[in-house]
Amino acid sequence: MGCDVVTVSADTKFVHLAWKKSEGELEKVRYAMGSDPTGRVSRMFGVYDESAGLDLRGTFVINPEGTLLNSEVNFYNLGRNIDELMRKFKANVYMGKKANEACPSKWKDEGDKTLVNPGAKMVGKVHEALEG
Amino acid sequence: MCETVQALKLGQKVPDFELDTYDPVQDDFGSFRLKDQIARKRWTILFFYPADFTFV
Repeated sequence: MGCDVVTVSADTKFVHLAWKKSEGELEKVRYAMGSDPTGRVSRMFGVYDESAGLDLRGTFVINPEGTLLNSEVNFYNLGRNIDELMRKFKANVYMGKKANEACPSKWKDEGDKTLVNPGAKMVGKVHEALEG
Repeated sequence: MCETVQALKLGQKVPDFELDTYDPVQDDFGSFRLKDQIARKRWTILFFYPADFTFV
């Protein structure tokens, strides 16, 4: 599954370069660092805070057809859980291959229990479907 | 308080966009375009954050 992570802030690419080279915590960073100084792309995703000129902590998963499948936005002071992001990403890739299955909240990786053909027969019987 | 607008919704096709980038692997400037990702059949995770030189 080919995936590219792109980080985005309102900083210019020049500032990204300077930050990457000065901050030891970023030593292992390999993803492209995107620059959105006008807020155009950030507005499109609803994360641009007009009152501050800054982006909220928004995470978005887009599939290879260009469809938006996940969005998560945190306020400035709450960091994101990367394990949960990876869980959602893996689930999307899996469901992209298995259109008739749904990944419940406890799904973590391929091989975990899914809900197959969720429909009328499963109404009121989700517990049995998960245990069965 | 913050002032944001709700724009894209889940399940929508994302309109094409382009971003200037700094690519740490090449140690060079580049660009990211959604259209290229679709052409190359690749997934994209966009990760917005407030600003460089802060405590991400």
